[in-house]
Amino acid sequence: MRSLTATMRSAFAEAWSNRSGFWLQVSIMIVNDLVWVVFWVLFFREAGSVRGWDTQQVLMLQAILTTGGGIVLGFFNNARRLGQLAADGALDATLVLPVPTLPHLLVRRVETTNLGDLIFGVALFVIGCDPTWSRIAIYLAGSLISVITLTGFLVAIGSLSFFFGRNEAGELGFHAMVMFAMYPVDVFTGPGRAVLYSVIPAAFIASVPAKLAESFDLGMALGMIGAAVVFATVGYTMFTLGLRRYTSGSAWTRA
Amino acid sequence: MTIEVEQLSKSFSTGRAKRRTLVEAVRDISFSVEAGERLAYIGPNGAGKSTSIKMLTGILRPDSGAASVLGITPWTHRKQLARRIGTLFGQRSQLWFELTSLQSFRMLGAIFDMSDLQLATRVGELGELLDATEVFAMPVRNLSLGQRMRCELAACMLHEPEILFLDEPTIGLDLLGKQLFRDLVIRLNEERGTTILLTSHDVADIESVANRVIVINHGSVIYDDDVEVMRRSLFTTKRVEVGLERPVIVPEIAGAQLVEHTETVARFVVDTSKRSIRDVVDAILEHLPVADLSIVDPPLDEVIGAIYSQLAVE
Repeated sequence: MRSLTATMRSAFAEAWSNRSGFWLQVSIMIVNDLVWVVFWVLFFREAGSVRGWDTQQVLMLQAILTTGGGIVLGFFNNARRLGQLAADGALDATLVLPVPTLPHLLVRRVETTNLGDLIFGVALFVIGCDPTWSRIAIYLAGSLISVITLTGFLVAIGSLSFFFGRNEAGELGFHAMVMFAMYPVDVFTGPGRAVLYSVIPAAFIASVPAKLAESFDLGMALGMIGAAVVFATVGYTMFTLGLRRYTSGSAWTRA
Repeated sequence: MTIEVEQLSKSFSTGRAKRRTLVEAVRDISFSVEAGERLAYIGPNGAGKSTSIKMLTGILRPDSGAASVLGITPWTHRKQLARRIGTLFGQRSQLWFELTSLQSFRMLGAIFDMSDLQLATRVGELGELLDATEVFAMPVRNLSLGQRMRCELAACMLHEPEILFLDEPTIGLDLLGKQLFRDLVIRLNEERGTTILLTSHDVADIESVANRVIVINHGSVIYDDDVEVMRRSLFTTKRVEVGLERPVIVPEIAGAQLVEHTETVARFVVDTSKRSIRDVVDAILEHLPVADLSIVDPPLDEVIGAIYSQLAVE
């Protein structure tokens, strides 16, 4: 634990070393998220509601998505880069240290831009999501489960690089996940909707917790927890198995 | 034995889909290294040097064979081994570019379970040894390559490893930087007894640092002996350099080929398999006004080049 804390501290210190750049990137991401929220508010003012979703629910969805996504992509940024690191043979520097490989890799890089998402998510919840005690509990638990599911998913698809030597699947999976998670899951129907509850678990990242905040459903809550457990297990297993096939490389790299 | 390797093999598949082919990077290599040795592990590009080192440090898993480093199988107990060895890859960095080396050392100290006092003492010692105390406090991105390599060496020495694996550590350094680095490695070996396993394409690294050399090619060990023995046994030529008292026309000396002649110097190459060096020297002393005479071995790069050429012919 001491080694992980020290690594996180170094990663944050590196991101913080350029303070003006740090705040600029954070601010730009906050503005970007704000524009997206303004779009949804204007949309629902005109449309009223769409398949049971209204402004209040979508704001909760955005708050959980930006909070969870901000934590994963901000503090565990290598979850997204894992496939490229494996394909480039850039894991050597971590593999020669007496540390648990996956946790160390995950915390080794902080991405400043996505910390803007995290700040925005917290602010949006406090200001725009009517934070009662029950909603605070669902927001926190939903964000935590979102972090676990998203990290597990990104690690799993990134680990495909160990098996195929290339990272196209990782990049495609990341973009698909982010794109689908931004929309209420109920706007999708048929097989597409089934995919969002299974292979690309975008529904569990923000839509399901946002729905739970409106009306709690034990089955749905357990499904969300189950998805987090499954993707965390799949991600860890695929990484562990993939690491056995790691081929390293000789390019100039850093993790 | 500090390192024991038995019939270690590793292949990689290259190409895509149906055109995939298997390339043998390392094929049945076996060797052992004693504590305190300075071993150069050399070979042409693609010979399998880095693959071997990566297996010995636990980064890669072999397809077959066995290896023991400090009594530990590297790929099954990688983390346990990592506490006792240091690795420096010329193309990898253990330092954070935007931070000072001291900040990186703090992280590494925590990883190696060092107390603040232990870390401070060790950093002080290494700063003195590497003449880098002030360099440690500078952001890594502002360092010259030579300064950075000193910091990298300190980073991999923090936990007092029993073995140092150095994979092309002088790559990119200027002449002065290389010499400084070699001196440091020798000092670490002599003062602390650290076993050194070095790969390099720079013959001077091998000549300066190593007391034993293993040559690997196409994944197999093709030569394993002391550097001096290699130089003497593989080359039957000697170089004779003669300082002349006055300008003269140099007569033909049987068994010696004149390769350079100025007013003050004559240089010969002697094939000792055809005529003994003693006979040649006697002839030179008889026919030339000798002011000074020296007999030297051929440069190591010629020796290694000869091994590679010989293999290419075979």
